[in-house]
Amino acid sequence: MSDITVETPSIETVREAFEQEFGRFAVLSENPSGDADGSRAAEDDMRAVADLRTRHLGKKSPLATLKKQIGRVAPDERAAFAQTVQQLEADITTRIAEVETVLSEAVKQASLERDRLDVTLPGRRAAHGHLHPITLLRERIDDVFVSLGYAIEDGAEIETDFYNFEALNIPEGHPARSSQDTFYTTNGLALRSQTSTMQIHAMERRGVPLRVAASGRVFRRDTPDATHNPMFFQVECLCVDKGITMGDLKGTVEEFVRRMFGARTRTRVRASYFPFTEPSAEFDYSCFVCDGAGCRVCKQSGWIELGGSGMVHPNVLKAVNISSEEYSGFAFGFGIDRMCALMYGIDDIRLLFENDRRFLEQFS
Amino acid sequence: MNISYNWLRELIETDLTAGELAERLTRVGLAVDTVHEFVAGGDAAKDYVLEVDVTSNRPDCLSHLGVAREVAAIEDKRLNTRAWQNSKIQTAKVSGEDAGRIENRELDLCPRYAARIVRGVKVAQSPMWMVNRLEAIGQRAINNVADITNYVLHEVGQPLHAFDLNRLTDERIIVRRATVGETITTLDEVERTLDAEMLVIADAVRPVAVAGVMGGLASGVHSDTTNVLIESAYFIPSQVRRTRRKLNLQTEAANHFERGTDPEGVPRALERAVDLIWDIAGGTPDVSAIDIYPRRSEQPAVRLRFARIGALVGLNIAAENAREILKRLSFTEREHEDGAALYVAPSWRVDIEREEDLIEEVVRHTGIDRIPSRLPLATTGGEYLPNERARRLARRTLTQAGYDEAINFSFIDPNDTREFAVLPTLESDERHDENSDDKEARHDGAVDLSNPIIENLTRMRASLLPGLLNAVRHNLNHGTRDVRLFEIGRVFASRDDVASDKAHDEREQHRPLEREALGMVAIGGNREANRFGVARPLDFYDLKGALEAVIENMKLPALEFKPKDFTHLRSGQSARISLHGKAIGSMGRLAEAIETRLKLKQSAFVAEVDFNLLLDANQITSRYRPLARFPIVARDTSIIINRQTTFAAMRNSALEIGTEICRDVRFVDVYEGANLPDGFRSLTLRAVYSSDERTLRDEEVDAAHRSLVQTLVERFDAQPRE
Ligand SMILES: [Zn+2]
Repeated sequence: MSDITVETPSIETVREAFEQEFGRFAVLSENPSGDADGSRAAEDDMRAVADLRTRHLGKKSPLATLKKQIGRVAPDERAAFAQTVQQLEADITTRIAEVETVLSEAVKQASLERDRLDVTLPGRRAAHGHLHPITLLRERIDDVFVSLGYAIEDGAEIETDFYNFEALNIPEGHPARSSQDTFYTTNGLALRSQTSTMQIHAMERRGVPLRVAASGRVFRRDTPDATHNPMFFQVECLCVDKGITMGDLKGTVEEFVRRMFGARTRTRVRASYFPFTEPSAEFDYSCFVCDGAGCRVCKQSGWIELGGSGMVHPNVLKAVNISSEEYSGFAFGFGIDRMCALMYGIDDIRLLFENDRRFLEQFS
Repeated sequence: MNISYNWLRELIETDLTAGELAERLTRVGLAVDTVHEFVAGGDAAKDYVLEVDVTSNRPDCLSHLGVAREVAAIEDKRLNTRAWQNSKIQTAKVSGEDAGRIENRELDLCPRYAARIVRGVKVAQSPMWMVNRLEAIGQRAINNVADITNYVLHEVGQPLHAFDLNRLTDERIIVRRATVGETITTLDEVERTLDAEMLVIADAVRPVAVAGVMGGLASGVHSDTTNVLIESAYFIPSQVRRTRRKLNLQTEAANHFERGTDPEGVPRALERAVDLIWDIAGGTPDVSAIDIYPRRSEQPAVRLRFARIGALVGLNIAAENAREILKRLSFTEREHEDGAALYVAPSWRVDIEREEDLIEEVVRHTGIDRIPSRLPLATTGGEYLPNERARRLARRTLTQAGYDEAINFSFIDPNDTREFAVLPTLESDERHDENSDDKEARHDGAVDLSNPIIENLTRMRASLLPGLLNAVRHNLNHGTRDVRLFEIGRVFASRDDVASDKAHDEREQHRPLEREALGMVAIGGNREANRFGVARPLDFYDLKGALEAVIENMKLPALEFKPKDFTHLRSGQSARISLHGKAIGSMGRLAEAIETRLKLKQSAFVAEVDFNLLLDANQITSRYRPLARFPIVARDTSIIINRQTTFAAMRNSALEIGTEICRDVRFVDVYEGANLPDGFRSLTLRAVYSSDERTLRDEEVDAAHRSLVQTLVERFDAQPRE
């Protein structure tokens, strides 16, 4: 093939031929971000430029032909000719390289663009469920009592009169014992009407001194409405030891509400009456929403009722054969549903036991 | 109890505003819930109404006089009884003329009965001041005589009754028990049948009032009444309560009597009423009052050791201060010696029986807020319920698995529960036979309520599932289609003659069995959080997986599932669940009949296990095992088997017959559908081979695997799938 005489192009023709074909890429190197929008276009251009390189720099290119001519040029012109040809080759190489750099960057950009994600789409995971708000609160209450040195207790929900009433100093004929207020089974047992039943079982089982707390379901014959349910949850705590006073009761209640609702929580106390305590007292704590300034939650009073409390009635101690001369104790308890409703702003407590997913999924 | 501020100030001169009074009363135990302004018609003075929440031990405070006494003690002032001392009439002893008019045959039930006649009254509207007073405390005015009895009730706390004298046969009053079947039409125009345990006020012939509860319609004051007999009496509280309950009646009078009135206040109230009638309704009172009170009520003398106050309260209150408070509260001090005294409560107090009661009086009037707070010294550390950690893990595992926690009422509709098998632990031993192939025996140990409050909810639940399914129904009704719920709660079954060493209560032997159960229900699609595309429908294995996750997180060994029919589950998609070989519950797809009853359009899957057994079971402790040193080789094989053949059976067989190098047999996939004969499915198993001593050769594994497959095929009458 080398014998075939090829018409040797002039340097100018080669340059012009290159310039003409390269023309549409030239703009790229000057304005790199310009046309690299569609990835396909950039890839096509890449291929075209590669082709261009083969045709203008390859072994069969006119430039290659020119380079072969260098040896045949008269010696005195050879250096100049060689220099011009080399200059031309360098020019073409550089310009193609420039464009290739720009294009490969554009291709890379286009490929990233093609893989672009919407990072705001939701993460992938199975739908998760939610604990009942009563459970969330009971766990928190248990945690506080344990941290205060109390043992958590559990008890039967169906009780004999002895545990539900008699031992708690609620005598026969007391209104609370009526079938108007308390549920009875057909064989005469009561659905426990307060968690105070725990006091008796715990003292029987553990003896004194003791510190126990228990939460759970209790039942009273209330027709359901926005603020009542025939079943609700209570918690009760009991501390019996030598020398326990109302001062211990106050200190414990104050510490309890501080741990529940924050260190700034204050309490106030007033005398009250419960059959199983004497003297009895009721506590209020400063509103956890407005800190006592007054708001909707606390009905503008700044205070929220906690519940009942007092010094364990001597008759209660007597029911479990503990001498009230030797030992004294305090107990306090409150309704969890009401606290739950206040904490989460639930305006109708019937929702607590409807188990509507739209309700349950609001708590965590 | 509503208290009018102006009315109160007639009885006690106080400078405290209504708001200040509310605060002071609240602190001593008379909680004032609200104070609101009351503006009567005309030019009446502005008044305030205090709504007092009187605790059940203080019926003496159910009147303006009672509240005034507390104010007097708070402020160390004397009551103002001028209005009563100005009375124009005097109470006399029973006159000869009237001695026979009243007969009290039941002194035990009615220790005091007083009455007085006013003749020539004119029944009319009450004067404006009285109407205003009554309206202020929320009472409706009727006519002057009725209003006066009502007024006196709210002033001094003594219920009164006015009879039309001319309508009493022979103008006589007899306090007696009713005879069986005797009837009376009460003021509310209801005819009531009485029994021999009820006390009545009768005339010569018939009952004219149910004592302490409600008067009769016929003998009451009418618009044409001219002569009235006003009754003021003391009835034994338990008697009034019993009668009132039997008749299912709730009246203001009964409310006072059944909580305890003041026997010594009987004549004062009568005098006050007669005085007002004379003033307002005209007429002339008979000269003599009748007052039958042969046995004077006595209050117990209670000893107070002053040192006990500080010991119980934690605030040192000087004996002098304690004595002063009790004096202000009208307690009589009898003997006073070193460090102690005997006290007798005033006749209106029904709540003073023991030393602690006196201490409470001292403390509430000293101020509980003055007691210094402290934390008791601890001798023990705090402790959770046993396995609280496992309990919390179980709950959180279920929420992670997409289950919301439900809480249902403990009582349910028996109609919703009929088909539901109960936990094996609720069945009695005779009923329960683990090896029986019968459908699960129906549970008949129901615990029923004698006085339900919501119609139909009459039974204590023996299973959590009916409640959970009702919650599913509720959610579907409200447009929530994918529902997964769990509940942890008690279920109940009756027992007979439970052995008990507790002698307090014979009913101990009837205590039902209470077990904590874990119930689960799933229906709809397997949702992803925050992604709302088409979801794969939940199935049996989703529910099973959630339960297995619970077990794993509770560190318990794998549960055993065995095909078994239950009345509430669809046959062929139900399993008995066991732990350590002991049955603990069931799971499966809900039976068609129940799905139809609940109008479920999709399959629901349910599970129930005894949660106490899970909590009590021995937990696994983690132990490190050396990692395999030589490569592990796995071989998969698909085998076509009868649908009744279980994976568990095949796996157990494979492990049993497999050679020493066969380390495990695992589930890969199951295929059911085209190209398989009816009643068959294709199960793909993976046998895992390895050795602790060397790298296994391919030929060795192939031979072992061929032999394994061959044996399975023969044992289970199966065939390998190509
Ligand atoms: Zn507030």
